[in-house]
Amino acid sequence: MRARRLIATTMLAAVVAIAAGCGGGGASPAGGGSGGSVVKGGILRVGTTNYIDSLNPFVAIESQSYNAFVMEYPQLVQYGPGPKIEGDWATSWTKSSDDLTWTFHLKPGGKWSDGKPLTAEDAAWTGNTIVKYQAGPTAAVAAALTHVKSMDAPNATTLVIHYDKPVANVLPQLEQFFILPEHVWKPFEGTNGKGLKTFRPEQHLPTVAGGAYFISQYQEKGTTVFKPNPGFYGPKSNADAVAMTYYTNSTSMIADLDSGNIDFADQVPFNAISSLKNDSRFDVQSVPTSEVTNITINTNPLKSKNRELLDPKLREALEYATDRDSIVKVIFAGYAKPWANMLSVESGSFWLNPAIKPLPYDPDKANQILDSLGYKKGSNGIREVPATTGKYAQPAHPMEYGVIVPDSLDFNGDRQFQIIADDWAKVGIKLHEIAGGDSGQAYGMETAAQYTKFDFATWDWAEYIDPDAQLSYMTRGQWYSWNDTGYNVPWFNQAYLTQATLTDPKQRQALVWKMEARVAHDRPYIQLVNEYLVTADDKTWTGFYPDLNGYCKCYYTSPHKTG
Amino acid sequence: MSGADYLIKRTVFAIVTVFVALTLNFILFRALPGNAVTGLRCGHCTKQFRESIVKQYGLDKPKLQQYFVYLDRLAHGDLGTSTFDNRPVWDDIRGPLVNTLPMIVAGTVISIVLGVMTGVIAAWRRGTLADTSNTWSALAFYAMPTQWIGILVVFYIAIPLGLPASGIESNTLGILSTPSTWEVFSDRVSHLFLPALVLGIGLYGEYALIVRSSMLETLGEDYVLTARAKGMRNWSIVWKHALRNAMLPLVTLIALSLGSIVAGAIVVEDVFSYPGIGLATIDALNRRDYPVLQGIFLILTLSVIIANFIADLVYFKLDPRVTE
Repeated sequence: MRARRLIATTMLAAVVAIAAGCGGGGASPAGGGSGGSVVKGGILRVGTTNYIDSLNPFVAIESQSYNAFVMEYPQLVQYGPGPKIEGDWATSWTKSSDDLTWTFHLKPGGKWSDGKPLTAEDAAWTGNTIVKYQAGPTAAVAAALTHVKSMDAPNATTLVIHYDKPVANVLPQLEQFFILPEHVWKPFEGTNGKGLKTFRPEQHLPTVAGGAYFISQYQEKGTTVFKPNPGFYGPKSNADAVAMTYYTNSTSMIADLDSGNIDFADQVPFNAISSLKNDSRFDVQSVPTSEVTNITINTNPLKSKNRELLDPKLREALEYATDRDSIVKVIFAGYAKPWANMLSVESGSFWLNPAIKPLPYDPDKANQILDSLGYKKGSNGIREVPATTGKYAQPAHPMEYGVIVPDSLDFNGDRQFQIIADDWAKVGIKLHEIAGGDSGQAYGMETAAQYTKFDFATWDWAEYIDPDAQLSYMTRGQWYSWNDTGYNVPWFNQAYLTQATLTDPKQRQALVWKMEARVAHDRPYIQLVNEYLVTADDKTWTGFYPDLNGYCKCYYTSPHKTG
Repeated sequence: MSGADYLIKRTVFAIVTVFVALTLNFILFRALPGNAVTGLRCGHCTKQFRESIVKQYGLDKPKLQQYFVYLDRLAHGDLGTSTFDNRPVWDDIRGPLVNTLPMIVAGTVISIVLGVMTGVIAAWRRGTLADTSNTWSALAFYAMPTQWIGILVVFYIAIPLGLPASGIESNTLGILSTPSTWEVFSDRVSHLFLPALVLGIGLYGEYALIVRSSMLETLGEDYVLTARAKGMRNWSIVWKHALRNAMLPLVTLIALSLGSIVAGAIVVEDVFSYPGIGLATIDALNRRDYPVLQGIFLILTLSVIIANFIADLVYFKLDPRVTE
């Protein structure tokens, strides 16, 4: 369920110095992280532990699928080094004085990989179709076109987008707008659009792509092959092809990197970093990512059991009782930093409220708060919650709770649970682990019976650079879709709608900071750490942009063999 | 009981077991949470859209009616349609099944050869270092989780020897040129070797212990003593007299352990990212693609039942006393 978050596992705010630009806007494709002369040719072999679950943008959820969409499909804009928005297919854009009409000027001469011309008509059809079926088949990608009324294509290289309200973050939103070939997808639209959801491009290879690559071979749990689209409008691929191989576990991936069977591992497990760093054959890069781990707390005011957890003061005590430094050291081998904000470091200083800092690990303070709240320790060392009366009356009970731990985490969730359980035992709270299964199962457990069954989970979010999406996950409107805490605060729900229409960045920043502060105070999550992304590549290749996975076509077009 | 009676009894028993398995297969997957819409990850979809998907797969009908439709389809060899990709279930599971079968066969052969060899040596050299080391090794490997053996093999065999630790074929095979049949074959074998070895190592311990125990029993029989008294060579005594009689329990064990062999294959496939029936099962589970899960479980269940049926027949052939 939350894998969509993983699309942004790689972005960073203070990116390591990257020499050249990429993709749209005519920036140079070469360079990447390491520089050197560009030697064309060869097959770039990429290893990953995240797979492409579907080549249909209306169905896919895994981050690797979105990376494939970036490679396959034209986008008006994309993120380049910085990270900053830059043109992909669009060379320039203008907006009307009322902010309701945006006009994009597109690069001419592009072709789909089957030889058909790529025109603004394809973009208009895709946009209008998404809007038309946004309550159904195209819902998964409709957020990118929030408040879009329609799209027009006055000519082959001009696209006009009409909004019904001013939107604060048009360009970051459009970065997620993948333009599909009308001549391929339209026949599946039918009368209700259902075919758009059930169409499987992976069953019709090679795919028809207008971006940098088309896919000639697809194996969901094997190797997927990206071949350069000769009609691509942008900088061409340096490699003859990219073979992306999925590994069910990182041990095998690192073994294959060691054996020379892959050239690039897109996420090195934390326990393998030191050995790779000591091996002169490999370049190991680590960058802060958008991924923030957390203890998720059910804050649905209607929950019937363990209602004491609805008290923000109790949750503050729990944060004092949690030793983040230990988690950083043991789970992430130092490749993470303690974190408290709902947004990640990737959002940058403009969006991050500087007042939000992690509380120090202080079990004495936690004990003091819990004592003051009236939770006395029993003879077994576990605190007791007194009985309550009223509509949500509950009997006296020990402070003993279950924690859902999904098995789809990219770190050792079981070990992290043990650390937290040991920490909380010191303040008289007993935890037991509940196997969460995959993301879908875990999310099902959280949302079961209208968010009334679970108490805690440990999970993470990989966030977008623009704060809109992450803020939306805290609203009532995202219940059963992305909201995983049951958090439902009317002020926050309204503030979310308001911030999306504030086109003055300063005004929007002020409101976003207030929203961050509110979430930090209410603690539907105890944020734990901001992870680092660690990648490793064989030194026979260079030009990698490890931070732009899922954001930039240069992620695959730029790498080249060393001279 | 005559031989014919025995045959009929085992056949009827197998048919009843198949029917029970079919029914349980139907019930189990409808008792699980989620449905075809869950697999489409349709959080925002309208009620109408969800209903149309449910209707498309006949999930709106009463359960009893669904059950008869299911039986009717099975009778026509139709395992249903995947709710994830709309393809016939058989098309979805045929490829993974074909990938897994050679691995299971190779792994089983490795385990039998290793198990019989070490079991015989341990029994023949009872009480010696050879016996102790073989027995303890067999116990150790029997007790080890298969995935752990897999990880050890990756670390200590795959990396030093440069053998592929993942997948079923090289990631560059056929991308820029068309490979020859020999290239494809040798590539497949190189990728098959380690998973099969792990499966074999994980299974051989049990076989070794059974063979040792059975061999010790037969080595104490009068006919073995007679053979020795006649001056037969050790190899002949073991091969012609003792081992053949000691194989009876192994035949049963191999058939009975088919289920655990498949379970072991699932774990091995996960370690080596081997795209077989194990990974297909995990994928189908994650997608709530119950028709595919149902198809996989049905085929695996039928395999075990058929293997047991064949074992019964083989046992009857090897040991006619079973009808007494």
